[in-house]
Amino acid sequence: MDLTTILTAILLLPLGSAAIIALFLRTRGKLAAMLSVTVGFLVMALSLYVILTWSGQEFHASHIWLTFGQYNFSMGFYFNHQTALMLLVVSFVASWIQLFSVGYMDDDDAKGRFFGGLSIFMFSMLGIVLADNLVMLFVFWELVGFSSYMLIAHYFKTDFANMASKKAFIVNRIGDFGFILGIVWCWSHYGTVNLAELQAKVGGNTALLTTHSAIAIGLLLMCGFVGKSAQFPLQVWLTDAMAGPTPVSALIHAATMVAAGIYFLARIFFLLPPFTQEWIMWSGAGMTAFAGLCALGQTDIKKTLAYSTLSHLGYMACAVGLGYPQLALFHMAMHACFKATLFLGSGSVIHACHHEQDIYKMGGLWKKMPITGATFLLASLANCAVPFFSGAYSKDSIISAAFLKGHDGGTVFYGVYFLVLFGAFCTALYTVRLFSVVFLGKPRSEDAEHAHESGASMTIPLTVLGLLSLGAGWAVYGWNLFGDNFTGLLPTNCAVVFLRAFNDLHDALEQAGLAHGLEFVNLAVVAVGLIASFIYYGRAKTVGDPLAAKSPGVFHVLERHGWFDDVYDWYVVQVQQRICDILGALDLFIFKFCAGWGTGGAAGLSGSLLRRATVGSIHAYVYWFLAGVILFWALAVR
Amino acid sequence: MTAFLFYFLSALTIVAALFVVFNREAVNSAMCMILALGGVAGMFVLLDAYFLAALQVVVYAGAVMVLFLFIIMLMDTRARRIRVTEMDLVAGIGALLMLTVGAIWLAHKFPAVAEMPEIHPLPSDQVALGYASATKTFGFGLFTRYMLPFQVAGFLLLISMVGVIVLSKKQPAEDDKSDQVRK
Amino acid sequence: MQPGLQAYLTVAGLLFAIGFAGVLLRKNTLIIYMCLELMLSATTLALVAFSRFYGTMDGALFVFFIITVAAAEVAVGLAIIVALYRRRRTVQVDELNYLKH
Repeated sequence: MDLTTILTAILLLPLGSAAIIALFLRTRGKLAAMLSVTVGFLVMALSLYVILTWSGQEFHASHIWLTFGQYNFSMGFYFNHQTALMLLVVSFVASWIQLFSVGYMDDDDAKGRFFGGLSIFMFSMLGIVLADNLVMLFVFWELVGFSSYMLIAHYFKTDFANMASKKAFIVNRIGDFGFILGIVWCWSHYGTVNLAELQAKVGGNTALLTTHSAIAIGLLLMCGFVGKSAQFPLQVWLTDAMAGPTPVSALIHAATMVAAGIYFLARIFFLLPPFTQEWIMWSGAGMTAFAGLCALGQTDIKKTLAYSTLSHLGYMACAVGLGYPQLALFHMAMHACFKATLFLGSGSVIHACHHEQDIYKMGGLWKKMPITGATFLLASLANCAVPFFSGAYSKDSIISAAFLKGHDGGTVFYGVYFLVLFGAFCTALYTVRLFSVVFLGKPRSEDAEHAHESGASMTIPLTVLGLLSLGAGWAVYGWNLFGDNFTGLLPTNCAVVFLRAFNDLHDALEQAGLAHGLEFVNLAVVAVGLIASFIYYGRAKTVGDPLAAKSPGVFHVLERHGWFDDVYDWYVVQVQQRICDILGALDLFIFKFCAGWGTGGAAGLSGSLLRRATVGSIHAYVYWFLAGVILFWALAVR
Repeated sequence: MTAFLFYFLSALTIVAALFVVFNREAVNSAMCMILALGGVAGMFVLLDAYFLAALQVVVYAGAVMVLFLFIIMLMDTRARRIRVTEMDLVAGIGALLMLTVGAIWLAHKFPAVAEMPEIHPLPSDQVALGYASATKTFGFGLFTRYMLPFQVAGFLLLISMVGVIVLSKKQPAEDDKSDQVRK
Repeated sequence: MQPGLQAYLTVAGLLFAIGFAGVLLRKNTLIIYMCLELMLSATTLALVAFSRFYGTMDGALFVFFIITVAAAEVAVGLAIIVALYRRRRTVQVDELNYLKH
């Protein structure tokens, strides 16, 4: 079977599953679940097959879809190493999360709708991964946004879920507005939207990136990334998106959809002028630190993990901004593993405690849920970038790259280094806080008392992803397993993406003599954070959050996310709503009064005047007719 | 000869038309109308349009005016005097002026064609739709250049027939209780 | 002297004017209708005269259609008048003023 056929199968199988579920299996939840999970694993198998048998040559295949005059919209596949990595991440993580959902959603009535949504999400996400031009990417971008909207609103009977899904979609749309402008401008300026053609045109030619158009295009395309990957200032939707079921949060809002923005940036990296890169770097670094702090102010387990995701997305953005998109993809792949584990672990805990999400009502779950606890521990350590865990390799590379930028680029860039280092410190703080409050100590509520380990459908994915969050990063050591096909635990075709960048970075650090120093600083920061947090939170004697008890003001700032949401709320309610009301009143005035009453009144007035002419006498009508004939005759004779 | 016939027929037509207008009885008006139409048919003959003359007599004077007579006799109307109002005088004078002006304008617009051109009795191949006195020319023109109006006229007749039937249906009276069961 | 085109047109014009006068002056609907037919007849005369004097058949063919249409129109018009008579019991124009505002 040739590559095009397999890729088409990979793309369309989830769509088929979604269609069958939507048409036939809406009420048959169990069948829908089985179908969706089977398709998921089939897609994973096909993806692995493709990746392992791929020759390494860049692959293009496309098909013209629409033609408007001289413009062609085409749909096609662009398969290179980045695609291989992302395909592996998406299909692998998605399949295991789908298996997890079977256990998690066992008491839900609307399983059919849920698994249909997961299938359509898979289809859309794979479309983004495989797309070969910006227009196709945008189509699937929007589809992913739609799937997210549909899945967040799964519990649509609650107001909170409805509002959260609308917020996610609308905020995304704001970013997409900039995105589509960028695509159109790119088409007009460069003459093509095909990624390979753009790369050929712009790739080595940095002179092309100095024009105003190029800078504008870079910024506008970045808007799409800002919306989808919850960067500043559009990050407000991600925490509310936790209203959806936990597997949705794990799949969409941790591992894959929010990473789509990073993947997109890596794909179009050659189009980004230096100004855009700097903006991304600074906003990413800032978000890392800020989100890390805000995570300390949350008592909901999923919200904490959401802020953690924001923080790590900041890391990835920072890596792109520093000029290492491959490292961003590396961190994205690692993050997908451990964040999915964390979310699934939290799902397992929530399910066991009967849908309780407040961490201060959990506790002592280590003894009761050993597998969940162990995998959660593995993933937490990876989250904190403890050495030898997967997160360490990618996160430390990014922090080191930031230092290198400061070293080579100018002292102002040391600010980036301090921000990301502070972010690492906060990560350690909130991770240990989370772990110790949830799993250690004594149970704090009835539900926690009666918790027990979850079934196999939930623990198996946890184990698989947990082990990966331990060992996925070992690819950097270059161990070749199974012939040349695997490097560490990852297929070589995928690992190639970041290995070279990783090695280049470390070579540069060695040359500058910084390598060991930086590693030591990183380790020290993480160790201090772990110990401090363990003492402050793990051994705390207070009933609730120690920070809340001791400095409620600080806690309140962090809890309210720096009042970002409130500022937007105020703007929408006070400013935007007023503008809309004015426009509405103007509309009413113009159309109802002027056009409606005006023309109606004029018609009525002229009607009542003309009415006088109907005298009921035929002869009078003939005289009028005569007058008309004379008039026309006069005009004709003229 | 033709000149004499022309003057005679035109005088007949105009006098008959005047009688149509200024006659008190409706039936008398109708009879005078038949006479006027006959005069016009005669002038058609003078113009070598034999088929049209026959058509005029058969259709117009024969069928249409007979229909008129039927209806007039159906309506039981009293003869009334013609009262000329001021408006009528104004309109009449205005119409007369219009007529005069129009006639003078027409006279200047169209060149005086004093003689009738030569025509062949049968349609000629040289000039499509050249004037000829045979009925064949009508057929030739109707079925080539004027095919569409011909068909449409057929539809028109059908529609008017249906319309007449619909219009002359008796409306059921409001106090019609004939379909109720008598107790 | 041979009657030329002008002569025929004069006759047609006079006929038309008389018909028009009849429409304006008479109060009986049926007579008004007859005068309308008179006007129509005048135009047919003019058409045939033009057709003859310019050597083309188009005018005569047009007259053919005029006669057809006039016949159809008379049928429908008289049906309307009969229906009106049934309702209002009169054919005098000044009594048929139901549409007066």
